[in-house]
Amino acid sequence: MASYYLTYMINNAFIIVIGMLGVYVITGLTGMFSMGQAAFMAVGGYTAAMLAKYLGAPIFITLPASMIVGAILGFLIGIPVIRLRRDYVAVVTLGFSQALVALLNNSASITGGALGLNGIPRYTNKTMIVIILVLVTAGIWQLKKSRFGRECVAIKVDELAASSMGIDVARTKLIVFILACAISALAGCLYVHTTSYLDSASFGWDQSSMWIIMVYFGGVSSLTGSIFSGVVLTMIQEIFRFSAEWRTVIYCVIVLVIINFRPQGLFGETELDGKTIRKLGRQVISLPRKCKNLISGKGEK
Amino acid sequence: MLLELKAIQKSFGGVQAVKDVSLKVEKGQIIGIIGPNGAGKTTVLNLISGIYPVDAGEVVFRDQNIAGMKQHKIAQLGISRTFQNIRLFKGLTVLENVMTALDATTHYNILSAILHLPSKHRLEKANREKAMEALRLVGLEEHRDASPFNLPYGLQRRVELARAIVNEPQLLMLDEPAAGLNPSEIEEFIALILRLREKYGFGILFIEHRMKVVNELSEYIYVINFGDLLTEGTPEKVVNDPEVIKAYLGEEEIT
Repeated sequence: MASYYLTYMINNAFIIVIGMLGVYVITGLTGMFSMGQAAFMAVGGYTAAMLAKYLGAPIFITLPASMIVGAILGFLIGIPVIRLRRDYVAVVTLGFSQALVALLNNSASITGGALGLNGIPRYTNKTMIVIILVLVTAGIWQLKKSRFGRECVAIKVDELAASSMGIDVARTKLIVFILACAISALAGCLYVHTTSYLDSASFGWDQSSMWIIMVYFGGVSSLTGSIFSGVVLTMIQEIFRFSAEWRTVIYCVIVLVIINFRPQGLFGETELDGKTIRKLGRQVISLPRKCKNLISGKGEK
Repeated sequence: MLLELKAIQKSFGGVQAVKDVSLKVEKGQIIGIIGPNGAGKTTVLNLISGIYPVDAGEVVFRDQNIAGMKQHKIAQLGISRTFQNIRLFKGLTVLENVMTALDATTHYNILSAILHLPSKHRLEKANREKAMEALRLVGLEEHRDASPFNLPYGLQRRVELARAIVNEPQLLMLDEPAAGLNPSEIEEFIALILRLREKYGFGILFIEHRMKVVNELSEYIYVINFGDLLTEGTPEKVVNDPEVIKAYLGEEEIT
């Protein structure tokens, strides 16, 4: 049972989390509200699937190819998106993603339409997925701790003040948007090579909004928080699979409880880095002493 | 000539916020702008920094007309500013806030950022040192890892000041920098501004209501009312001008 969940976690949750990291970069870091990020996962997925199925391309071709196609599409969608205010960004990305799903459904001769494509070579294994997740996380971590990370946060908080610091807001947004789309496309590539099957329905607005929930649930500015909540929320759905009708209810209750009592998300702005772990460690170590003091303090009274 | 405004105008809808303002800032000079609330002082600063374009007139910065240029381009030319209502970046530490002013002109690409290549490491280190130097100048080096919003108001103002001077601008614009400071903080602030000017030699254009700051800092003052330049001159001349006292300073408590 434990090994089943471990496999499920790596093969499903981890890939979902890699796709979600695209949303983290756009929405969490830069404050652009992307409601159609799953479309870029679809782009990566279909690129990899068609290259592997029709041309027999190996993974070291399908993986970079899907990222490049994702980045190019990100560039094209990004050009109008970066000029828009936050709420309009959501409308454009949502519209794009729905249009793309419709396009995939209707070009059945190459994409298989609503029936999907199957028999796509399985190239991935668990180790590979874990390594890629770690690499992508490390990359975004470094990005956050770089000039781009600071520029993104500045843009998210106050665009006008960011421009006053000499930051080219439009350019930075576009770079970040392209990067995020490439990351989500990478998740799509891993997805098809793991399940060997894909259909357009898996990449609708519900997947996109799930990612946004994960990012906000974990703490909008916290990379580690987003990853943690991504894994937990995906696993909750799987663990409660036995009661299909209650699964969504439980999921929603958990999300609503967090949003209500901790609006900044589970981790808030804190990252689970060495510093935080040491601080937590110190608190745990001093816990018995604190309890003792509390008890003896009560005893004196 | 560092900065020259030639008859700039700006309207918002039917309101003429700036009707006809011309002023000059020489290199290393400290220029004050005063006038009652709503006179269009902040609009003048916003027009210089390119937050909105001028309707008419010229903004000449070091022999270049910058009217109509993008905001970030103007900032990169060497015009820094602070804001009336402090605009620090939430979610970044004090040090990171100061570093944002250096980031736009720091040239390493996104790949070296993600892969943490040596070029990033080197430039980040240099920027961190520059930002620490700026924090030291304003006396905030021990608060570098704090969140700026946990600092008292007076210190937040100094973070904003450090962020404005870190890239060694040619022109520093301060929008009511002494607002909300207590008398002893004001003394410190005046000394700090003079020290910074000494070190960097930049021109300063500032808006202020506190007459103590205006008198002690400015070498020349422009008085603006209803979007028009009312008068200009040395502090002694302007402050003792009966017209100015009657029309503008009469409403303010003179400290």
